[in-house]
Amino acid sequence: MNEPMTFDDATLMAFADGELDEATATAVERAMEADDALMMRVAEFTEMRAATRDAFTPPEPVPPALEAAVHGMVERHRASQAQPASNVVSLAKARTKRLGFAQRSWQLPLAASLVIALGAGFIAYQLGQTPGTAPEGSDIAGFSSAEIDGVLDNAASGEEIAIADGAGRVRLISSFNDQSGALCREYEVDRSASASVVAVSCRQAGEWAMRFAVAAPAGGDGYAPASSLDALEAYLGAIEAGPALTAEEERAALDEATR
Amino acid sequence: MMGVSNDIGDELIAFLPNMRRFALSLARAPDIADDLVQQACERALANAASFEPGTRFDAWMFRIIRNLWIDRTRRQKTAGPSEDVHERHDLVGEDGQKVVDARQALSSVKDALDTMPGEQREIIMLVCVDDLSYKEAAEVLGVPIGTVMSRLARARKRLAELTGISPAPGRSSSATEANP
Repeated sequence: MNEPMTFDDATLMAFADGELDEATATAVERAMEADDALMMRVAEFTEMRAATRDAFTPPEPVPPALEAAVHGMVERHRASQAQPASNVVSLAKARTKRLGFAQRSWQLPLAASLVIALGAGFIAYQLGQTPGTAPEGSDIAGFSSAEIDGVLDNAASGEEIAIADGAGRVRLISSFNDQSGALCREYEVDRSASASVVAVSCRQAGEWAMRFAVAAPAGGDGYAPASSLDALEAYLGAIEAGPALTAEEERAALDEATR
Repeated sequence: MMGVSNDIGDELIAFLPNMRRFALSLARAPDIADDLVQQACERALANAASFEPGTRFDAWMFRIIRNLWIDRTRRQKTAGPSEDVHERHDLVGEDGQKVVDARQALSSVKDALDTMPGEQREIIMLVCVDDLSYKEAAEVLGVPIGTVMSRLARARKRLAELTGISPAPGRSSSATEANP
Protein backbone atom coordinates (compact mmCIF):
# COMPACT_ATOMS: atom_id res chain seq x y z
CA MET A 1 0.00 0.00 0.00
CA ASN A 2 2.97 2.23 0.41
CA GLU A 3 4.02 2.08 -3.19
CA PRO A 4 3.76 5.43 -4.93
CA MET A 5 0.68 5.43 -7.11
CA THR A 6 0.72 6.78 -10.61
CA PHE A 7 -2.26 8.43 -12.20
CA ASP A 8 -2.84 9.19 -15.83
CA ASP A 9 -4.04 12.55 -17.10
CA ALA A 10 -7.60 11.39 -17.61
CA THR A 11 -7.84 10.26 -13.99
CA LEU A 12 -6.40 13.49 -12.65
CA MET A 13 -8.72 15.48 -14.84
CA ALA A 14 -11.70 13.46 -13.65
CA PHE A 15 -10.60 14.21 -10.11
CA ALA A 16 -10.47 17.92 -10.89
CA ASP A 17 -13.94 17.67 -12.43
CA GLY A 18 -15.41 15.74 -9.52
CA GLU A 19 -16.11 12.76 -11.75
CA LEU A 20 -14.09 10.09 -9.94
CA ASP A 21 -15.55 7.35 -7.82
CA GLU A 22 -14.94 7.82 -4.14
CA ALA A 23 -12.22 5.23 -3.73
CA THR A 24 -10.09 6.58 -6.56
CA ALA A 25 -10.74 10.16 -5.51
CA THR A 26 -9.48 9.36 -2.03
CA ALA A 27 -6.39 7.73 -3.47
CA VAL A 28 -5.65 10.79 -5.63
CA GLU A 29 -6.22 13.10 -2.72
CA ARG A 30 -3.84 11.16 -0.55
CA ALA A 31 -1.18 11.03 -3.23
CA MET A 32 -1.48 14.77 -3.81
CA GLU A 33 -0.71 15.53 -0.20
CA ALA A 34 2.78 14.21 -0.65
CA ASP A 35 3.34 15.14 -4.25
CA ASP A 36 3.37 18.76 -5.36
CA ALA A 37 3.88 17.90 -8.99
CA LEU A 38 0.77 15.79 -8.93
CA MET A 39 -1.12 18.61 -7.32
CA MET A 40 0.01 20.96 -10.07
CA ARG A 41 -1.15 18.56 -12.73
CA VAL A 42 -4.60 18.48 -11.17
CA ALA A 43 -4.60 22.24 -10.76
CA GLU A 44 -3.83 22.71 -14.42
CA PHE A 45 -7.00 20.90 -15.38
CA THR A 46 -9.00 22.96 -12.93
CA GLU A 47 -7.41 26.13 -14.19
CA MET A 48 -8.09 25.38 -17.85
CA ARG A 49 -11.70 24.65 -17.16
CA ALA A 50 -12.13 27.91 -15.29
CA ALA A 51 -10.29 29.91 -17.96
CA THR A 52 -12.40 28.43 -20.73
CA ARG A 53 -15.59 28.99 -18.87
CA ASP A 54 -14.66 32.60 -18.22
CA ALA A 55 -13.78 33.17 -21.86
CA PHE A 56 -17.22 32.06 -23.03
CA THR A 57 -19.37 33.41 -20.22
CA PRO A 58 -21.74 35.07 -20.63
CA PRO A 59 -22.62 33.88 -24.13
CA GLU A 60 -22.70 36.47 -26.86
CA PRO A 61 -26.07 38.13 -27.36
CA VAL A 62 -28.30 36.32 -29.82
CA PRO A 63 -28.85 38.29 -33.03
CA PRO A 64 -32.36 39.76 -33.05
CA ALA A 65 -33.18 38.06 -36.37
CA LEU A 66 -32.49 34.63 -34.93
CA GLU A 67 -34.34 35.38 -31.75
CA ALA A 68 -37.35 36.60 -33.71
CA ALA A 69 -37.29 33.58 -35.99
CA VAL A 70 -37.32 31.16 -33.07
CA HIS A 71 -40.02 33.12 -31.26
CA GLY A 72 -42.17 33.00 -34.37
CA MET A 73 -41.52 29.31 -34.76
CA VAL A 74 -42.58 28.62 -31.19
CA GLU A 75 -45.73 30.72 -31.56
CA ARG A 76 -46.74 28.92 -34.71
CA HIS A 77 -46.00 25.60 -33.12
CA ARG A 78 -48.24 26.46 -30.18
CA ALA A 79 -51.00 27.63 -32.48
CA SER A 80 -50.85 24.43 -34.48
CA GLN A 81 -50.86 22.30 -31.33
CA ALA A 82 -54.04 24.03 -30.23
CA GLN A 83 -55.82 22.88 -33.36
CA PRO A 84 -56.72 19.32 -34.22
CA ALA A 85 -53.83 17.65 -35.96
CA SER A 86 -54.12 17.43 -39.67
CA ASN A 87 -52.90 14.43 -41.56
CA VAL A 88 -52.23 16.47 -44.60
CA VAL A 89 -48.75 17.80 -44.76
CA SER A 90 -48.66 21.23 -46.22
CA LEU A 91 -45.27 21.86 -47.67
CA ALA A 92 -46.23 25.41 -48.40
CA LYS A 93 -47.04 25.95 -44.76
CA ALA A 94 -43.91 24.25 -43.57
CA ARG A 95 -41.96 26.40 -45.94
CA THR A 96 -43.56 29.59 -44.74
CA LYS A 97 -42.20 28.79 -41.33
CA ARG A 98 -38.77 29.35 -42.72
CA LEU A 99 -39.47 32.65 -44.35
CA GLY A 100 -38.06 35.75 -42.89
CA PHE A 101 -34.83 34.90 -41.23
CA ALA A 102 -34.16 31.74 -43.19
CA GLN A 103 -34.85 33.42 -46.45
CA ARG A 104 -31.47 34.97 -46.39
CA SER A 105 -29.75 31.68 -46.97
CA TRP A 106 -32.45 29.96 -48.93
CA GLN A 107 -33.44 32.75 -51.14
CA LEU A 108 -33.93 30.85 -54.36
CA PRO A 109 -37.62 30.47 -55.00
CA LEU A 110 -38.98 26.97 -54.98
CA ALA A 111 -40.18 27.46 -58.46
CA ALA A 112 -41.22 25.26 -61.29
CA SER A 113 -37.81 23.67 -61.34
CA LEU A 114 -38.73 21.66 -58.29
CA VAL A 115 -40.91 18.66 -58.39
CA ILE A 116 -42.02 17.71 -54.95
CA ALA A 117 -43.88 14.60 -54.09
CA LEU A 118 -45.01 13.30 -50.78
CA GLY A 119 -46.90 10.37 -49.46
CA ALA A 120 -47.13 6.68 -49.94
CA GLY A 121 -45.57 4.87 -52.82
CA PHE A 122 -42.60 5.88 -54.79
CA ILE A 123 -42.21 8.59 -57.27
CA ALA A 124 -40.37 8.37 -60.46
CA TYR A 125 -38.23 11.12 -61.80
CA GLN A 126 -36.42 11.55 -64.97
CA LEU A 127 -34.37 14.60 -65.26
CA GLY A 128 -34.21 16.38 -68.52
CA GLN A 129 -37.31 14.69 -69.77
CA THR A 130 -40.07 16.49 -71.53
CA PRO A 131 -42.66 17.51 -68.99
CA GLY A 132 -45.62 15.23 -69.15
CA THR A 133 -43.72 12.16 -70.16
CA ALA A 134 -44.70 9.65 -67.55
CA PRO A 135 -41.61 7.89 -66.35
CA GLU A 136 -41.76 4.14 -66.29
CA GLY A 137 -40.90 2.08 -63.27
CA SER A 138 -39.10 3.22 -60.19
CA ASP A 139 -36.26 5.00 -61.83
CA ILE A 140 -34.60 7.99 -60.37
CA ALA A 141 -32.87 10.45 -62.60
CA GLY A 142 -33.07 7.74 -65.24
CA PHE A 143 -31.08 5.24 -63.20
CA SER A 144 -32.35 1.86 -62.20
CA SER A 145 -33.77 1.87 -58.73
CA ALA A 146 -32.36 -1.61 -58.16
CA GLU A 147 -28.87 -0.26 -58.52
CA ILE A 148 -29.58 2.67 -56.24
CA ASP A 149 -31.20 0.35 -53.69
CA GLY A 150 -28.01 -1.66 -53.69
CA VAL A 151 -26.07 1.47 -52.82
CA LEU A 152 -28.56 2.34 -50.08
CA ASP A 153 -28.12 -1.15 -48.61
CA ASN A 154 -24.39 -0.85 -48.23
CA ALA A 155 -22.81 2.56 -48.49
CA ALA A 156 -22.13 4.64 -45.40
CA SER A 157 -23.17 8.27 -45.13
CA GLY A 158 -20.47 10.51 -46.46
CA GLU A 159 -19.65 8.09 -49.28
CA GLU A 160 -20.11 8.83 -52.93
CA ILE A 161 -20.73 5.85 -55.21
CA ALA A 162 -20.57 5.76 -58.99
CA ILE A 163 -23.52 4.04 -60.68
CA ALA A 164 -24.49 3.04 -64.20
CA ASP A 165 -20.88 2.53 -65.18
CA GLY A 166 -19.95 5.97 -64.07
CA ALA A 167 -22.78 7.81 -65.78
CA GLY A 168 -24.15 8.86 -62.43
CA ARG A 169 -23.26 9.21 -58.80
CA VAL A 170 -25.06 8.62 -55.53
CA ARG A 171 -23.98 10.61 -52.51
CA LEU A 172 -25.16 9.33 -49.15
CA ILE A 173 -25.94 12.21 -46.83
CA SER A 174 -27.39 10.74 -43.66
CA SER A 175 -29.50 8.06 -42.07
CA PHE A 176 -32.24 8.55 -39.52
CA ASN A 177 -35.49 7.06 -38.27
CA ASP A 178 -38.85 8.52 -39.15
CA GLN A 179 -41.64 8.84 -36.57
CA SER A 180 -42.67 5.22 -37.09
CA GLY A 181 -39.10 4.08 -36.45
CA ALA A 182 -38.44 3.09 -40.06
CA LEU A 183 -34.87 3.47 -41.23
CA CYS A 184 -34.55 6.26 -43.79
CA ARG A 185 -31.66 7.50 -45.87
CA GLU A 186 -31.16 10.87 -47.39
CA TYR A 187 -29.08 10.96 -50.54
CA GLU A 188 -28.42 12.82 -53.74
CA VAL A 189 -28.27 11.38 -57.23
CA ASP A 190 -26.52 13.13 -60.10
CA ARG A 191 -26.81 12.33 -63.72
CA SER A 192 -24.41 14.93 -64.94
CA ALA A 193 -23.07 18.22 -63.83
CA SER A 194 -26.34 19.79 -64.78
CA ALA A 195 -28.91 18.12 -62.64
CA SER A 196 -29.33 16.37 -59.37
CA VAL A 197 -32.02 14.80 -57.26
CA VAL A 198 -32.26 15.01 -53.51
CA ALA A 199 -34.17 12.03 -52.19
CA VAL A 200 -35.24 10.21 -49.07
CA SER A 201 -35.96 6.49 -49.10
CA CYS A 202 -37.17 4.45 -46.17
CA ARG A 203 -37.34 0.74 -45.44
CA GLN A 204 -40.83 -0.54 -45.98
CA ALA A 205 -41.83 -4.19 -46.17
CA GLY A 206 -38.24 -5.27 -46.59
CA GLU A 207 -37.27 -2.92 -49.35
CA TRP A 208 -36.42 0.70 -50.00
CA ALA A 209 -39.35 2.91 -50.81
CA MET A 210 -38.70 6.38 -52.06
CA ARG A 211 -40.66 8.81 -49.95
CA PHE A 212 -39.43 12.14 -51.14
CA ALA A 213 -37.54 13.53 -54.04
CA VAL A 214 -36.73 16.95 -55.31
CA ALA A 215 -35.32 17.32 -58.75
CA ALA A 216 -33.33 20.44 -59.09
CA PRO A 217 -30.99 21.94 -61.59
CA ALA A 218 -27.66 22.05 -59.91
CA GLY A 219 -25.56 25.08 -59.33
CA GLY A 220 -23.16 23.96 -62.01
CA ASP A 221 -21.02 21.67 -59.91
CA GLY A 222 -23.55 18.91 -59.69
CA TYR A 223 -24.92 19.88 -56.32
CA ALA A 224 -28.48 20.56 -55.43
CA PRO A 225 -29.01 24.23 -54.67
CA ALA A 226 -30.02 25.31 -51.22
CA SER A 227 -33.64 25.86 -52.23
CA SER A 228 -34.19 22.16 -52.64
CA LEU A 229 -32.68 21.58 -49.24
CA ASP A 230 -35.32 23.90 -47.90
CA ALA A 231 -38.04 21.60 -49.17
CA LEU A 232 -36.14 18.68 -47.77
CA GLU A 233 -35.95 20.28 -44.34
CA ALA A 234 -39.66 20.90 -44.44
CA TYR A 235 -40.24 17.28 -45.34
CA LEU A 236 -37.94 15.99 -42.61
CA GLY A 237 -39.81 18.13 -40.12
CA ALA A 238 -43.12 16.77 -41.38
CA ILE A 239 -42.15 13.13 -40.91
CA GLU A 240 -40.55 13.94 -37.57
CA ALA A 241 -37.19 12.71 -38.70
CA GLY A 242 -35.05 11.75 -35.75
CA PRO A 243 -31.46 12.93 -35.37
CA ALA A 244 -28.93 11.61 -37.85
CA LEU A 245 -27.57 8.23 -36.84
CA THR A 246 -23.91 8.01 -35.95
CA ALA A 247 -21.70 5.92 -38.21
CA GLU A 248 -21.95 2.95 -35.83
CA GLU A 249 -25.71 3.25 -35.43
CA GLU A 250 -26.08 3.49 -39.18
CA ARG A 251 -24.01 0.40 -39.82
CA ALA A 252 -26.00 -1.57 -37.27
CA ALA A 253 -29.31 -0.34 -38.69
CA LEU A 254 -28.30 -1.19 -42.26
CA ASP A 255 -27.15 -4.67 -41.24
CA GLU A 256 -30.39 -5.20 -39.42
CA ALA A 257 -32.53 -3.89 -42.27
CA THR A 258 -30.87 -5.77 -45.06
CA ARG A 259 -30.19 -9.01 -43.25
CA MET B 1 -54.12 15.21 -20.63
CA MET B 2 -50.92 16.18 -22.35
CA GLY B 3 -51.14 19.84 -23.12
CA VAL B 4 -48.38 21.94 -21.71
CA SER B 5 -46.10 19.11 -20.70
CA ASN B 6 -44.42 18.67 -24.04
CA ASP B 7 -44.19 22.31 -24.91
CA ILE B 8 -40.51 23.01 -25.19
CA GLY B 9 -40.87 26.52 -26.58
CA ASP B 10 -39.83 28.30 -23.41
CA GLU B 11 -36.75 26.17 -23.02
CA LEU B 12 -35.79 26.71 -26.63
CA ILE B 13 -35.85 30.43 -26.12
CA ALA B 14 -34.09 30.30 -22.77
CA PHE B 15 -31.25 28.23 -24.16
CA LEU B 16 -30.81 30.18 -27.38
CA PRO B 17 -27.60 31.91 -26.26
CA ASN B 18 -26.08 28.61 -25.15
CA MET B 19 -27.14 26.81 -28.31
CA ARG B 20 -25.67 29.55 -30.41
CA ARG B 21 -22.45 29.50 -28.45
CA PHE B 22 -22.09 25.78 -29.08
CA ALA B 23 -23.02 26.13 -32.76
CA LEU B 24 -20.44 28.91 -33.11
CA SER B 25 -17.76 26.67 -31.68
CA LEU B 26 -18.55 24.07 -34.31
CA ALA B 27 -19.09 26.26 -37.34
CA ARG B 28 -16.84 29.20 -36.41
CA ALA B 29 -18.96 31.39 -38.68
CA PRO B 30 -21.86 33.34 -37.19
CA ASP B 31 -24.22 33.02 -40.15
CA ILE B 32 -23.80 29.27 -40.32
CA ALA B 33 -24.15 28.99 -36.55
CA ASP B 34 -27.41 30.92 -36.70
CA ASP B 35 -28.75 28.64 -39.43
CA LEU B 36 -27.79 25.59 -37.41
CA VAL B 37 -29.57 26.89 -34.34
CA GLN B 38 -32.67 27.76 -36.28
CA GLN B 39 -32.82 24.38 -37.98
CA ALA B 40 -32.22 22.67 -34.66
CA CYS B 41 -35.12 24.54 -33.09
CA GLU B 42 -37.40 23.49 -35.92
CA ARG B 43 -36.35 19.93 -35.57
CA ALA B 44 -36.74 20.05 -31.81
CA LEU B 45 -40.27 21.41 -32.06
CA ALA B 46 -41.18 18.71 -34.56
CA ASN B 47 -39.65 16.01 -32.37
CA ALA B 48 -40.55 17.38 -28.95
CA ALA B 49 -41.99 14.01 -27.98
CA SER B 50 -38.62 12.34 -28.26
CA PHE B 51 -37.11 14.53 -25.57
CA GLU B 52 -36.77 12.48 -22.39
CA PRO B 53 -38.04 14.44 -19.42
CA GLY B 54 -35.55 14.42 -16.60
CA THR B 55 -32.60 14.67 -18.94
CA ARG B 56 -30.85 17.89 -19.76
CA PHE B 57 -32.62 19.89 -22.38
CA ASP B 58 -29.48 21.69 -23.52
CA ALA B 59 -27.68 18.37 -24.01
CA TRP B 60 -30.51 17.21 -26.24
CA MET B 61 -30.28 20.40 -28.30
CA PHE B 62 -26.51 20.14 -28.56
CA ARG B 63 -26.91 16.68 -30.02
CA ILE B 64 -29.38 17.96 -32.62
CA ILE B 65 -27.14 20.91 -33.50
CA ARG B 66 -24.14 18.66 -33.81
CA ASN B 67 -25.97 16.20 -36.05
CA LEU B 68 -27.07 19.03 -38.31
CA TRP B 69 -23.51 20.27 -38.44
CA ILE B 70 -22.16 16.83 -39.33
CA ASP B 71 -24.79 16.53 -42.01
CA ARG B 72 -23.73 19.86 -43.38
CA THR B 73 -20.01 19.14 -43.36
CA ARG B 74 -20.65 15.85 -45.15
CA ARG B 75 -22.39 17.75 -47.89
CA GLN B 76 -19.53 20.17 -48.15
CA LYS B 77 -16.93 17.46 -48.08
CA THR B 78 -18.56 15.73 -51.02
CA ALA B 79 -19.02 19.10 -52.64
CA GLY B 80 -15.33 19.76 -52.49
CA PRO B 81 -13.62 22.78 -51.02
CA SER B 82 -16.42 25.22 -51.57
CA GLU B 83 -16.40 27.62 -48.69
CA ASP B 84 -13.95 27.19 -45.93
CA VAL B 85 -15.47 29.74 -43.69
CA HIS B 86 -13.28 30.53 -40.80
CA GLU B 87 -14.31 33.87 -39.51
CA ARG B 88 -13.25 34.78 -36.07
CA HIS B 89 -16.07 35.72 -33.81
CA ASP B 90 -14.75 38.55 -31.79
CA LEU B 91 -15.44 39.31 -28.24
CA VAL B 92 -18.59 41.28 -27.98
CA GLY B 93 -18.88 42.65 -24.50
CA GLU B 94 -17.55 46.15 -24.36
CA ASP B 95 -18.07 46.38 -20.65
CA GLY B 96 -14.99 48.38 -19.87
CA GLN B 97 -14.78 46.78 -16.45
CA LYS B 98 -12.18 44.22 -17.32
CA VAL B 99 -8.57 45.10 -17.33
CA VAL B 100 -6.95 45.13 -20.70
CA ASP B 101 -4.68 42.16 -20.26
CA ALA B 102 -7.44 40.13 -18.68
CA ARG B 103 -9.39 40.62 -21.88
CA GLN B 104 -6.47 39.55 -23.93
CA ALA B 105 -6.16 36.38 -21.92
CA LEU B 106 -9.82 35.67 -22.50
CA SER B 107 -9.69 36.19 -26.19
CA SER B 108 -6.59 34.08 -26.36
CA VAL B 109 -8.50 31.09 -25.00
CA LYS B 110 -10.99 31.60 -27.79
CA ASP B 111 -8.28 32.07 -30.36
CA ALA B 112 -6.43 28.99 -29.18
CA LEU B 113 -9.59 26.93 -29.26
CA ASP B 114 -10.28 28.12 -32.78
CA THR B 115 -7.04 26.57 -33.95
CA MET B 116 -7.79 23.20 -32.39
CA PRO B 117 -9.53 20.31 -34.15
CA GLY B 118 -13.33 20.27 -34.02
CA GLU B 119 -13.26 17.10 -31.97
CA GLN B 120 -11.40 18.91 -29.20
CA ARG B 121 -13.39 22.13 -29.48
CA GLU B 122 -16.72 20.45 -29.01
CA ILE B 123 -15.72 18.40 -25.99
CA ILE B 124 -14.24 21.46 -24.28
CA MET B 125 -17.40 23.44 -24.91
CA LEU B 126 -19.70 20.70 -23.67
CA VAL B 127 -17.87 19.95 -20.43
CA CYS B 128 -15.90 23.05 -19.47
CA VAL B 129 -18.30 25.70 -20.70
CA ASP B 130 -21.74 24.10 -20.57
CA ASP B 131 -20.98 21.88 -17.58
CA LEU B 132 -22.20 18.62 -19.02
CA SER B 133 -21.11 15.55 -17.10
CA TYR B 134 -18.84 13.11 -18.90
CA LYS B 135 -21.81 10.82 -19.33
CA GLU B 136 -23.97 13.56 -20.82
CA ALA B 137 -21.17 14.60 -23.15
CA ALA B 138 -20.71 10.98 -24.20
CA GLU B 139 -24.37 10.83 -25.15
CA VAL B 140 -24.21 14.03 -27.15
CA LEU B 141 -21.14 12.82 -29.04
CA GLY B 142 -22.19 9.19 -29.33
CA VAL B 143 -18.89 7.89 -27.93
CA PRO B 144 -17.97 5.93 -24.78
CA ILE B 145 -17.13 7.82 -21.57
CA GLY B 146 -13.53 6.63 -21.82
CA THR B 147 -13.24 8.40 -25.14
CA VAL B 148 -14.68 11.56 -23.65
CA MET B 149 -12.09 11.45 -20.89
CA SER B 150 -9.04 10.86 -23.04
CA ARG B 151 -10.16 13.39 -25.64
CA LEU B 152 -10.99 16.03 -23.05
CA ALA B 153 -7.73 15.54 -21.16
CA ARG B 154 -5.78 15.90 -24.39
CA ALA B 155 -7.76 18.98 -25.39
CA ARG B 156 -7.25 20.69 -22.05
CA LYS B 157 -3.52 20.03 -22.07
CA ARG B 158 -3.32 21.35 -25.60
CA LEU B 159 -5.23 24.46 -24.64
CA ALA B 160 -2.89 25.00 -21.69
CA GLU B 161 0.09 24.76 -24.01
CA LEU B 162 -1.37 27.16 -26.54
CA THR B 163 -2.46 29.79 -24.07
CA GLY B 164 0.43 29.42 -21.66
CA ILE B 165 -2.08 29.41 -18.85
CA SER B 166 -0.70 27.47 -15.92
CA PRO B 167 -1.93 27.04 -12.42
CA ALA B 168 -0.83 29.59 -9.89
CA PRO B 169 0.93 27.86 -7.03
CA GLY B 170 -1.26 27.48 -4.03
CA ARG B 171 -4.50 27.14 -5.88
CA SER B 172 -4.84 23.48 -5.13
CA SER B 173 -7.88 24.06 -2.95
CA SER B 174 -10.04 24.57 -6.01
CA ALA B 175 -9.33 21.03 -7.06
CA THR B 176 -10.63 19.55 -3.87
CA GLU B 177 -13.63 21.76 -3.74
CA ALA B 178 -14.74 20.49 -7.14
CA ASN B 179 -14.80 17.05 -5.67
CA PRO B 180 -17.81 16.27 -3.53
